[in-house]
Amino acid sequence: METPAILAFGFYFLVIVVGCFMAVGSASLVRALVGLVATLLGVAGMYLLLNAPFMAFMQILIYVGAICVLIFFALMLARADADGDEADPAPAPRVFKGVLAAMLPGALLAPILLLHPTASHLLPPDVPLADLGRRLMEDYVLPFELISVVLLISMAGAVLLVWERRDK
Amino acid sequence: MKPLVLYQLASLVLLGAGLAGLVKRRTLVGMLIAVELMLNGAGLSIVAATQLTGADPALGQLATLLVMGLAAAEATVALAAIVVVFRRFGHTRTDALTTLREQQ
Repeated sequence: METPAILAFGFYFLVIVVGCFMAVGSASLVRALVGLVATLLGVAGMYLLLNAPFMAFMQILIYVGAICVLIFFALMLARADADGDEADPAPAPRVFKGVLAAMLPGALLAPILLLHPTASHLLPPDVPLADLGRRLMEDYVLPFELISVVLLISMAGAVLLVWERRDK
Repeated sequence: MKPLVLYQLASLVLLGAGLAGLVKRRTLVGMLIAVELMLNGAGLSIVAATQLTGADPALGQLATLLVMGLAAAEATVALAAIVVVFRRFGHTRTDALTTLREQQ
């Protein structure tokens, strides 16, 4: 990678790491959500570096625009302020288990990644948007239809779950 | 270091942070945030793996689009579940959610 790409990668990586720490460690859930948004934006930047601008915009549109707003609505039900449910520091065994859970995939996968790196291109190829759309309509039309069915069912299920009968 | 390894390490960071959050958080909303972190790491890993190797790059982008759609569906259902739990228990702390049936 050239120097500007490395600098950009370093910046996005920093954003992701700081966002992760905020999302996992913050005592207030609102700050955790802000950390999640920062992480999502960092990942969107990495998509841009990977020459996948469509994915970057979808990331911002779907994750930041839809999912984070959904989580924010859920947040209103939790006691999210700085002295709410997550305020008192987690008990030490719990933090230890959390660190262990984070270390386990790192200890298993990082050595494999570092010792046996896969041959990789230096420059990601261009994928025209028209090509993506054509593939979605021709080769992968079944997953495309299935994901719409899954979304429909999940939304109908959500409405059904929170439905309140008038006559009760 | 090869570019692909760098991107895979970034997604490994996301996976680790998500797992740590899933274990450490004590509210359902906090756990939902952690799950979103992990799903994002998966998406980044898929796109990096197909954009930087000989694999079909369009397939990787479409697969990540699928992951995003599933994440949206999951967030919807999780939000509904959180609303139901809040109505029944009055809070969403996971340590106090120990019963499945209606309380008499």
